[in-house]
Order: sequence, then C-alpha cells, then structure tokens
Amino acid sequence: MLVEILFYIFATLLVAGALGVITARNPVYSVLFLVFCFVNSAAIWLLVEAEFLAIVLVLVYVGAVMVLFLFVVMMLDINLAEIRQGFTRFAWLGWITALAVIAEITGVIWRNGLGGVDVGRGFVSEPANYSNTLELGRVLYTHYAYPFELAAVLLVVAIVAAIALTLRRRPGLKVQDISRQVAVRAEDRLRVVKVSAEKRS
Amino acid sequence: MPDTMMNLHSIAAAVPEIYLTAAICIVLLFEAFVGAKRPGATGTLTLLVLVVGAALTVAYADVAHRVVLFDGTYVADPLAYVLKLAGFLAVAVALLYSRAYLQNRDILKGEYYVLSLSALLGIFVLISANSLLTVYLGVELLALSVYAMVAFDRESGVAAEAAMKYFVLGAIASGMLLYGMSIVYGLTGTLNLDGIAVALSAPHNLGVILGLTFIVVAVAFKLGAVPFHMWLPDVYDGAPTSVTLFIGTAPKLGYFALALRLLAHGLAGVTVDWTAMLAPLAVLTLVVGNVVAIAQTNIKRMLAYSTISHVGFILLGFVAGTVNGYGAALYYTLVYVLMALGFFGVVILASRKGFEADKLEHYKGLYRRDPLLALAMAMLMFSTAGVPPFVGFWAKLRIIQALWETQHLWLVVTAVVMSVVGAFYYLRVVKLMYFDEAPESLPDTVRSFGVRFALGVNAAAVLVLGILPAPLLDLCARVIH
Amino acid sequence: MITLADMLTLSGILFALAVAGIFLNRKNVILLLMCVELLLLAANFNFIAFSRMLGDLTGQVFVFFVLTVAAAESAIGLAILVVLFRERRSINVEDLNTLKG
Repeated sequence: MLVEILFYIFATLLVAGALGVITARNPVYSVLFLVFCFVNSAAIWLLVEAEFLAIVLVLVYVGAVMVLFLFVVMMLDINLAEIRQGFTRFAWLGWITALAVIAEITGVIWRNGLGGVDVGRGFVSEPANYSNTLELGRVLYTHYAYPFELAAVLLVVAIVAAIALTLRRRPGLKVQDISRQVAVRAEDRLRVVKVSAEKRS
Repeated sequence: MPDTMMNLHSIAAAVPEIYLTAAICIVLLFEAFVGAKRPGATGTLTLLVLVVGAALTVAYADVAHRVVLFDGTYVADPLAYVLKLAGFLAVAVALLYSRAYLQNRDILKGEYYVLSLSALLGIFVLISANSLLTVYLGVELLALSVYAMVAFDRESGVAAEAAMKYFVLGAIASGMLLYGMSIVYGLTGTLNLDGIAVALSAPHNLGVILGLTFIVVAVAFKLGAVPFHMWLPDVYDGAPTSVTLFIGTAPKLGYFALALRLLAHGLAGVTVDWTAMLAPLAVLTLVVGNVVAIAQTNIKRMLAYSTISHVGFILLGFVAGTVNGYGAALYYTLVYVLMALGFFGVVILASRKGFEADKLEHYKGLYRRDPLLALAMAMLMFSTAGVPPFVGFWAKLRIIQALWETQHLWLVVTAVVMSVVGAFYYLRVVKLMYFDEAPESLPDTVRSFGVRFALGVNAAAVLVLGILPAPLLDLCARVIH
Repeated sequence: MITLADMLTLSGILFALAVAGIFLNRKNVILLLMCVELLLLAANFNFIAFSRMLGDLTGQVFVFFVLTVAAAESAIGLAILVVLFRERRSINVEDLNTLKG
C-alpha cells in the first residue's frame, strides 16, 4: 500500500514536471524541470525494483547529460524576450494532439487491456537476496556483447563528431606549452659570448 | 556456458563489422598522427580500407545459408552479403568522387572519413540486425554519423540549419521507433526478430498494431516517405554536395534492410496491417515526389524529390507483401544506389572551387563544355526515368510485375502514370544539356582522369545492366527467399 | 501494488506531453531536444514495466542501451546547435527558414 501511495505521489510530480518542461518560458527552467522529471522517474524505477537503471538515470542522465544541456543553454545567451512572446499559433493543435494520444493509449490499455493482456497484474517482488545489478551485468557482457560493443562505437562517434563540429583552433592565442617549457635547455636560450676586454682609453 | 562460447571460426561471418570497427580506430589514429601533416593521406587510407574490407567480406562473409551469431542478435545470410558488398562499393565510389570537392571547400579532414566509415558500420548493423536492440543501435549509429556529416562544413549556416532540422526530426522518429518497439517487446516477450515472427504467427495480441503504427511511421520517416519527407529536400539541398552524394546512396541500403528485417521478417505475422498502412503512404510518396520535382529550379532539390518518388517505388515493392515484391524492392534499391552515385557524382564534378553547380541553369549547354560528362548525365537521367534499355526500366518493371501478381491494379496504374510524369523532369535536364545555349562564364568541370573514368564506368554500368539484366535480377531473386 | 496498467498509463501521458511539447515549442530548438528526451523516457517506462511483468531482463538491458544512445545523441545535437548558433546568433525555429521543405 505504501509503495502504491509513493508511486502515485512520484507519478503526479513527474507529470507536473513534464508539464513544466513544455510550458516554461525560460529554457533554463525547462532544463531544471526536466532534471526534476528524471529524479522522479528514478524514484519510480526504484519502486518497481529496477535499481541499477534508477541509479544510472541519476548519475548519467542528471549528472552528465542534463548538465550539458544546462551548460549549452546558458552559454548560448538566448534572447529571452523573443522566446517569452508566447506559444505559436500551433499551440491548440499541440494540446488537442496530447489529449487525443492520451485518450487513445489509455483507452487501449484500460478498455481493451492492450488487446488481452492482464494489465491489472501487479509486479511480483524479487527475493531479498536478488541483485538487479548483478543479473544485468551477467547478461550484458555475455548475451549482449555485440550490442555492447556497438554502444562503445556509438560513443566514439559522438566524441569524434562533437569535437569535429565545435573545436576551433584560434590562431594567435597565447598558451603555455608545459612540455616545451620543461624541455628548454640553457644552451637554446643562453649564448655565452667571450668578449675580449677592451683597453681603457 | 556452451551457448555463449565462441571461437574465431564461428564468428567469421561477422568479419565485415569487426574489421570495420578496427579500421575506424586505425583511421582515427592515422589522422591524429599522420593525416594532420599530409592532407589527403587519410582519404587514400580510407579507400584502401574499403577495398580490403570488400575483399575480406568476399573471403569470409559469403555464407551459403543463414548464420545467427551473438545470441541471436546478429544474422548473416546471402542477402546481408550482397548488401554489404554494395555498401563497401557505394561508400568507396562516393568518397572517390567527393575528394576534390572536399579539398576545394577546406573540409578535407580525417573526421569526415571516420564518420563515413562509422555510418557504413551503422548500415552493416542494420543489414545484419536480428533483434530490435541491434536494429535500434544500427539506426542510431547511422543517423548520428550522418547528422554530423551534414553539419561538417562549419562555415555554412545553411548546412547547420539542414543538420539541425534533420537531427530534430530524426530524433523524434527514433523516439517513435523506440516506443513502438517497447510495445512489440511487451506483447511478444522477446526482442529477437525470429522470436517475434514466431510469436506473431500464432494467434496474437491485437495491441501489437498500436506498436506497429509507431514503427511504420519511423520507417517511413527514415526512408523519406510522404508525409514524413519534409527533412529530405532540405537536407539534400543544405548539406555539402559530397554529403548529399553520401546520404543519397549507401544509407538507402541500410534503410531497405531495416524495412525488410523489421517489417517483412519480424512483423511478418501482421503483414496485412502494415501493407495496408504503407499502401497510401507509397501512393502519396509517388505523387508528391514526382509532381513537386517538376517545380524545382535547384538540381539538388529536384533530385531530392526524385529520391522521394523512388522511395515510393521501393515501398510499393513492400506493399506487394510477397517474396517477389521484396526481391523487386531489393533490385530497385541496388539500381537506385547505382544511379544516384552517378547523378550526384555529375553534380560534384560540375562544381568547382567557390562554385556550386546546384541550379538547373548551370547545366545549360553542358554538352558543348564537357561532352563526356553530359553523355554520362544523359544516360543516368534516361535510366532514372525508366527508359529502356537502361537498367532503371527493369527496376520499375519488376515492381509493377510484383504488384500485378498480387492484384493491386490501382497501384499499378498509379505507378505507370507517375513514371510518365517523372520522365518529364528527367528529360528536361537532358534537353538543357544538349539543346540550350550555355550561359557565359561558367567554370570548367573537373578534369582529373581517375574520377572521370570511375563516373564513365558508373554510367556504362547503367547501360550494361540494362541490356543484360538477368544476372542481377537472378541474384536478387536468389538472396530473398 | 503497482500494476502494469499504472506504469503504461504514466508512460502514455509522458509520451503525449512530449508530443504536445513538440507542437507547442516550435520557437526554440533546445526545447525540442528536451521533448525528445521526454519521449525516450516514456519508451523507457514501457520497457521497464514490460520487463518486470514478463520477469525478463531484456527490457532493462534495452533501457541501458537507450540511455547510452540518448547521451551520445544529445552530445551531437548540442554540438550542431552550437555550430548553428555561431552562424546565425539564434536558435529560434522561425529563423530557420533559409531552406523550405
């Protein structure tokens, strides 16, 4: 019962957060609402015993991806006055679509039971000594070795693409090159010149 | 655990992917240590990598029958072999054509080649996908590489705009794909495409149709079918022409495989439903693609709409829903890739430093300035229009035959009418090249021998395959069974 | 006890809000990217719900990969956004009108 109450609390907060994401006028608020959504989602995932993914969602998503979003939003110096002008003329279409999609999906789930699945069934709890992380790790590196390698390539591609697109080498910047500084030897910089003493006139 | 044990022999069929992954790392390192000092060296290495890759594919991946590897996530079959060889060839030719173009626009960087190779790897993953998970990863690997390639010319605001549109719409489409996959997974209990096919061949849950709808939308988007085509003309127009050449060719092989593995194999149990969804899309695609192409003055946009109309034909092959239909779609895809390599190649060769030959009027009187290029373009345009004896005719004929066999009379009529409409704007290009006066002060076309020779072979292939269509037709019929 | 229907409905609502957001925020590209994140989150909810119902870890493995891919996707998307902003000084969707589909 407690789990159920917690689920409804987090679910309400999640939906409220999602509403905030799409309606906030300031993109910074939107990002923060999205962080809020992810934290609530992680809580719900904990409740349904998907512990590893809940932690990954907070660490990777909130910790890295959303920080990247926030960083870009703040760096871009967007003209807020322009964005505050309000929604576009398609706003009504958006709300109608949302209501239609919700009606459709909930209709299919609740009225038809997704076409015959017992959707009212609760999730069975795993035994106390069950480790979600262990089990995931067990299949990830054996049965899913091939997708795992592909995901690695995908991350490399993301790195290469992001660097190729945004790295700018600006000529004339004054930078320190530590290795060159360390490698300097006295004879490169200093020339000892023997000057014969002149006679005093 | 014996089922996860592998030895080198058992994964030999996966050599193309393994090799390509290693090659990506080598090209990346080569660029970091050597390529930065010698511009162009990375390009040469990449061409070498592709040639060696094709050789290794012939040596190891030519499997006689279906091999399933990596716990069912990977499949190697004769179809995959043919598509992978075509992929190596298409990327190699595309990179060969675009070399001078990249140099002239200061985007000849090693990262460009790394991204083309990773896009090719994405195509291969799609070709050999046997699980929803590998399908998704393949789609994303291909798409992410291509988004970055479109934006590669950082000085071009138009390219960045095209890339942004492509990215946003593409990301929404993969979100849809994922949502659809989640429902299919939930109702069949497996990600494996063989498993899904088995689950759906028994009396199954009708909720699958909800998931199927999302998947069909995503596939239609990736292929560029109307009404999910809005990105395609903008991306083709806004991207550097070398990237247009790239995305107009090899990725089509991957998206064909996506449709085939996902819809025709995995979701074979609901063929009736997805053909019913695809049929109106295919008709719309044919009509919109051909009609809008007539109004274009920019050749890249015209060819983009022409691509859309060809996608319509490929989809019609799927709508037939039979082995013959899929075979016809495969043949059409291969032929289309060959022709697209040719005509985008001509656009690249007609461009020079500081000059994009992207307006139709730039082709006026091309015959007097460069008869060989004009002849190649004319052959390619005749073929694309479906004029016999060029190969494009057979491609269209096969699709129409497959539709005829399955009693889709209205679709046959639409296909024939739209082919005639399409012929108009292809032949207009020929008229411009041969019968119009050349405007003054157009720069010379590219004269380097190697590239022109390759383009000549490309155009000749369109004629030769048209006169002797049997081998390729038999091959397509044989690998899809 | 949390039921499958609860989770699927929640995911459906998230999905609908994401789609609505795509229509509403045609002004600002970065908001579109955030709506895509919501879309993926909705799909992840489905996968986790089904995975728990079926007692099959595969769905959770898929979510793991979706998170990885989404991270890579946002990195590239934001990189393109930065390139675009440098050229145009704007990320307003209505200013992206040089190319007309």
